[in-house]
Amino acid sequence: MSITEILFWFLTVLAIGSALMVIVSKNPVYSVIFLILTFFAISGHYLLLNAQFLFIVNLIVYAGAIMVLFLYVLMLINLNADAEPMKNKWLKIAGTVAGGCFLLVMVAALRTVDTKGITAQVGGGDIGLIETLGKTLFSEYVVPFEVSSVLFLSAMVGAVVLGKK
Amino acid sequence: MNAIIFSAVFGVLLMFSSFLFQNKSTQRNIAIVAIVLLLLANFAEQFGIWRIQVNNHGMLHFSSFGLLFNSIAIGITGLYFLLSGKDIEAIDSGSPADYYALIFFILCGVAVSSAYNSLLMLFIGIEIISIPLYILTGSDKRNLKSNEAALKYFLMGSFSTGIMLMGITLIYGAKATFNIDQITEMVHPGREAWFNAGLLLLLISLAFKVSAAPFHFWTPDVYDGAPTVFTSFMATIVKAAVFVAFIRLYATVFSASKYDWRLILSIIVAATLFIGNITAIFQQSVKRMLAYSSIAQAGFMLFALYAYNGISKEGLILYTFGYSVATVGIFAVLGRMKDYTFEGFNGLARTQPILAATTSIFLLSLAGIPLTIGFFSKYYMLAAAVKNGGHLWLVFFAILCAVVSVYYYFRVIQSMYFKTGDADTPFVTPLFKWTLVAMAAIVILLGLFPNLLLQYLYF
Repeated sequence: MSITEILFWFLTVLAIGSALMVIVSKNPVYSVIFLILTFFAISGHYLLLNAQFLFIVNLIVYAGAIMVLFLYVLMLINLNADAEPMKNKWLKIAGTVAGGCFLLVMVAALRTVDTKGITAQVGGGDIGLIETLGKTLFSEYVVPFEVSSVLFLSAMVGAVVLGKK
Repeated sequence: MNAIIFSAVFGVLLMFSSFLFQNKSTQRNIAIVAIVLLLLANFAEQFGIWRIQVNNHGMLHFSSFGLLFNSIAIGITGLYFLLSGKDIEAIDSGSPADYYALIFFILCGVAVSSAYNSLLMLFIGIEIISIPLYILTGSDKRNLKSNEAALKYFLMGSFSTGIMLMGITLIYGAKATFNIDQITEMVHPGREAWFNAGLLLLLISLAFKVSAAPFHFWTPDVYDGAPTVFTSFMATIVKAAVFVAFIRLYATVFSASKYDWRLILSIIVAATLFIGNITAIFQQSVKRMLAYSSIAQAGFMLFALYAYNGISKEGLILYTFGYSVATVGIFAVLGRMKDYTFEGFNGLARTQPILAATTSIFLLSLAGIPLTIGFFSKYYMLAAAVKNGGHLWLVFFAILCAVVSVYYYFRVIQSMYFKTGDADTPFVTPLFKWTLVAMAAIVILLGLFPNLLLQYLYF
C-alpha cells in the first residue's frame, strides 16, 4: 500500500464518518464542526488529485467563510430544547422508508456499473492547476462563466431588495 | 444570443434607474421601453435579420422553437407590465425598478433555458430563473404569509436544485461530458444504470420546478403567499420556460437511454391531472383555486413530453401562449379585487362589465371551450398522444379531468353574472381595460386560426 492509497482511505473514512456525525449529533454546534471536518477531508481528496486551486478555494469558501457564518447564526438564534418543533412520528417513518428506497435504487444502479477504464490520475496531471483552469474557463467555458454573472447579480439585487427597509 | 445579452443589459439598466429616477412611473416607462426593445432584438434573431455572434463552444443551440418561445415569453411579459405595472408599484417596500430588474434577469434565464445545449447551461438557466423568484415571492416584507412562502420556496427549491446537480453528476460520470449532442452519441454499455439513475433524479427535480403531482406540495402555499402580481408571473412565463427546457431534455437526453420513460411520465401526468383538478374544486379563494388549476394545466402540458412528436411541439407553443395570456389576464383582474374569495366576484358584471367579460373569456379558454385558444391547445396535446398510440386510457382520463375543471372555472363566471353583490374594484384606467380587451381578442383570434402563431415555428 503506497502512501497515496493510505491517505485516500484515511480521508474517505474521515469524510463519510464525519458526514454521518453531522446528521447524528444532537447539538447543532457539533454538527457544524463535523461539517467543517467533512469539507477538510474532501479538500484533501482534491489535493490527492493535484487540484491545488480547488483545494484552497474549497477550504477558504466552504470551511472558512460559509461555515463560520453558520456558527454565528447558530449562536445568535436561541436553540432550546422547547424551541424544537414537534416531530411527527409517522413523518419520520415515511422519511426513513423513502430514503431507504432511494438508497436501494442507487446501490442497485451503481453495483452493476463497469468502472474499468475510469481511473483518476493521482499525484500528477495538470488539470487542476490554476493555469489550465484559467485557460479552460476563458475559452471553452466562457459562456457559462459569463452568464453565471447574471445569477450572482440577481442574488445581490435580491439581497439589497430584501435588506432595505 | 440577442435575448440573453439584451435582457441582462436591460436588467442592469433598470437596477441603476432605481436610484437615478425617483419617479415610479418613469421607472415603469423605462421597463416598458426596454421590454419592447428586447422583443425587437429577439425578433431580429428569429427572422435572421441580425444577431450577435458569440463562439459559445457548443454550449448553446438556437432553434426556431426556442426563439419563438422567447418571443412569446417577452411579449407576454410586456403585456404583464402594461396590466400590472401599477400593482408592482403598490408593493410598499423597495422601488419598482428593482423588481423590474429581477424580472429582466428571469427573462435572461428563460432565454438560456430555451437554448441550452449543455447540462451546465441548463443548471445555470434554471438557477437564474429560480433565485430572483425566491426574492419576488418574499417581496411583501411586512406580510407574514409572504415571508413564509418565500422561505418555503427557497428551501424546497434549493433541495430540488441539489437533486438536479446529483443527477447531472451521475450523467457526467456515465458519459464523461455535459454536452447534449455528445451524450446522445456516446455509448458506454457498462454504465447504463448510472445514466438512468441520473436521468431519474433530473426528472424529479424538473417535475418539482413545473409542480407536477408528487412534487407539487409547495405550489399552493407559495402561489397563495406571494404578492398576486408575482404569482401571475411565476405561474405563467416561468412555468412555461421550465417546460420548454424539460421538453428539450426529454427529446434528446432521455431518448438516449434504453429505458422507456413513458410509464413513469404517464403516472406523473395522471396524478397531476387528478390532484390538481380535484383539489381545485374545494377551494374558497380564487387565488388558491388558480394555484391548483395551474397544477392541473401543468398536467396537460406534460402531455407534450409524454407524447413527444411534431404535433406536441406545436401544442406546447400554443399551450404556453394560451395559458399564459389567460392566466396573466385573470390574475391582473384578481389583483384589483378587494376580496379574493368567490363571493368577492359577486356582481362584477354589473359594476365592471368589461372586466367581467374579458375574465369570462380567459376562464373559458382555460377550461378549453371551443372558439378559444384553450380548446386548440388541449386538442393538439391530446392529438399528439393519440397519434403516438399506447396508453389511450390517459387521453380519456385527461378529457374527464378537463370536464371537471369546467366546474370551478364556471363558478367564477356564475359569481360574476348570476349573483347579486357589489364587487368593488378601485379606479380602473382605460389602458388596463384596453389591454385586457386586446388579450381577449388574441385568445379568440388564435382560437379560430392557431396557425397564425404556429407558422413561425417553420422559419
